[in-house]
Amino acid sequence: MQKKILEFTNILRKSGIRVSTAEAIDAFHSLDELSIEDRGIFRDALRTTMVKRGEDVPAYDELFELFWSGFYDTLRQAFGQATQGLEALGMDLEQLMQRLAELLRASGGELGDLSELARALLTADLNALEQLIREAAEQAGTGRIENFLQVGFYSRRTLDQMGLEGARDELRDLAARLEAAGLSAEEAQALQRLLEGLLEAARRSVRSYTERELQKQNHDYMEKFRRETLLEKSFYHLSEDEIRRMREVVERLAQRIKNVLSIRRRRLRRGKLDLHQTLRRNMSHGGIPFELVFKQRKKNRPKLVILCDVSSSVANVSRFMLQFMYTLQGAFTKIRCFVFVAELGEVTDLFQTGEISDSIEQALDGGGVINVYTRSNFGYAFHSFWQNHLAAIDNKTTVLILGDARNNYNDPRAWCLREIHTKAKNVVWLNPENPSAWGFGDSVMDRYLPHCDLAEECRNLRQLSAMVDRLIL
Amino acid sequence: MFDSVEKVRESLAAQGYICDAKIATVVFLANRLEKPVLVEGPAGVGKTELAKVVAAATGRSLIRLQCYEGLDEAKALYEWEYSKQLLYTQILKEKFTAVMAGATTIREAAEKVGKEDSVFFSHHFIVPRPLLKAITSPEPTLLLVDEVDKSDPEFEAFLLEVLSDYQVSVPELGTIRATRRPLVFLTSNNARELSDALKRRCLHLFIDYPSAELEQRILDTKVPEADKRLVEDLVAMMQRLRQLDLKKVPSISETLDWARALLALNATELSEDLVNQTFSVILKYEGDVRKAQGELSKLLQRKAAEAEAQAPSRAAAPSPGAVKKGALH
Repeated sequence: MQKKILEFTNILRKSGIRVSTAEAIDAFHSLDELSIEDRGIFRDALRTTMVKRGEDVPAYDELFELFWSGFYDTLRQAFGQATQGLEALGMDLEQLMQRLAELLRASGGELGDLSELARALLTADLNALEQLIREAAEQAGTGRIENFLQVGFYSRRTLDQMGLEGARDELRDLAARLEAAGLSAEEAQALQRLLEGLLEAARRSVRSYTERELQKQNHDYMEKFRRETLLEKSFYHLSEDEIRRMREVVERLAQRIKNVLSIRRRRLRRGKLDLHQTLRRNMSHGGIPFELVFKQRKKNRPKLVILCDVSSSVANVSRFMLQFMYTLQGAFTKIRCFVFVAELGEVTDLFQTGEISDSIEQALDGGGVINVYTRSNFGYAFHSFWQNHLAAIDNKTTVLILGDARNNYNDPRAWCLREIHTKAKNVVWLNPENPSAWGFGDSVMDRYLPHCDLAEECRNLRQLSAMVDRLIL
Repeated sequence: MFDSVEKVRESLAAQGYICDAKIATVVFLANRLEKPVLVEGPAGVGKTELAKVVAAATGRSLIRLQCYEGLDEAKALYEWEYSKQLLYTQILKEKFTAVMAGATTIREAAEKVGKEDSVFFSHHFIVPRPLLKAITSPEPTLLLVDEVDKSDPEFEAFLLEVLSDYQVSVPELGTIRATRRPLVFLTSNNARELSDALKRRCLHLFIDYPSAELEQRILDTKVPEADKRLVEDLVAMMQRLRQLDLKKVPSISETLDWARALLALNATELSEDLVNQTFSVILKYEGDVRKAQGELSKLLQRKAAEAEAQAPSRAAAPSPGAVKKGALH
């Protein structure tokens, strides 16, 4: 039992639930205090001592179900099917077994002559079978299974290790002997049916055991795999499903950044000794400074102005960047958001009310302020911003521009960006294109580059989250 | 004290706290293993309530420490009462002169005073705050550290010593060990991630929103005067609301408030007007109220449909419309 629990702990660790040795010891202590019979209590006891994060709870529950099996139930099901065949012939298993036992004794043999496996199969001793399968699987090295293609291989090895072929031969011999000893034709047929059913059930059980092992060892594997590739996926070609999954990943990343942010912020709070406040605080102690008061450092939150190109080529970058920024709203004193293709319009109100995801979709659609079905014209958009909204920028503002700078050979009007740059604290440009393409064709990125403090490629989620890190932290 | 998980459940129920097996198991283990319990979960599911109820059930006195940002050692552990020390110094001035009368050099005088300095840093002048109180209390106590995620990470360092060894080190007095180990409950709203060292020392309990059955039982226990139909409608409504994507999901305490509010309005079942009037009890954001209104109309429609299905006799009566038709022709 101890070994099993340690094994379980290892499985948990493999799927990313961190269980320390001390926690495992606690788990053992807790089992000392409780009766293990109730599965629910057992599960709760292990969970409370080994799983310390809310997000790990669903994974734990799944692994618990997988590990503390229902393998016994699987066996019962498989062997139940084997004996069902008998009923079709109108024979009762009990009767048949009794008859066999009689005949066997009469012919001078004993059931004990058979090998362990053969005996277990014949009497459908599920406990013994479970034991045999487990041992054989361990010896066959099933714990090392890694992917689905290996299931057949490991099943066969387990069967070999168990000696199923040998058992089959033994049972056939036994059948032959019994027939010779006077089994009726019906009974012989029933016996034949039964034996075949049992062997088949054994094979199937071993296979399902191997599959379970695979699931146990690789619980998190597929999930991790999918997550990794999502981070690398280029924003350009995303299906609906991928967009949805990315949204979840972005949500989680944003949450993590939020946590780090709150810790960082707190540490920066203490400034120099505030003499006046210290003396005032210590009046009751006669002015002796028992308690020290420090100056509060002023909060350093920047203002953010986002200029989003919502033409189709850049839509996905804009979508996820907006999601990041609005989830991390707490990090900024104020966020103002503008969308443009050629015209430029403010969509800040969309985000005041309503859901973040809905607002983002609406904003990407033009937000009711611009026409998205035109060709990109960055020059026009920047000019429009300079004319109407320059007041939104002051020396604490960070201006974030998302776009590919493909201007369709219009006038870039880089001077507008220069004006913006002069006024703002910094200007950050996120371009989904590779830097080697900047300035080629109708891209006027090279004209805008001198007026940007930071210009980065932002083609996939990994780069995007790195950028967000830099902007915020 | 608690012999089995079932006993725990019963004693908690006797105090008016209905819970499921999971919570009872953790309380049982915490009692037996003498380990602290970290209770996490959304706001309003009864984390603080659990601690209070366990204190009442086990006959321990409750010592509560409410955490906030900037909570430091002085407020949580202990503080020296400086004003008292100064006062005593003033009052005992004459005694001081008497003690130092025999000394001829400064060194002698200092040594003489030095022999007495343990007076000024003794138990007289220490103001015990909740953590120290819990350790040194002669009667059995339950220490509730509420909203530990609101405190600073530095604060967790003080907690660690208390939680693992149930002792406090005061530099001047030495280590003060607990005469009797308190039961410790920590609650967290998950606003930030707690340090692993803290989590490792605790048993973890995650309380989620209750299931429909549990919620019904809680309502039956806490608001027994409410009508059966009303309770069922309430529970159904709340379970649906929790599925929605709301800014602040209402939890069991909101359900109880709502039940009491509706009771005060003498309601026997949910109707559209009633709900619209009382929405502010359970939903605290405008956006949430709007979203929930859609749900409400759906639920009431379904109720109406069920009511009709259960009253087929009404359908048998001839409708006035048919009569009118006949009259026209």
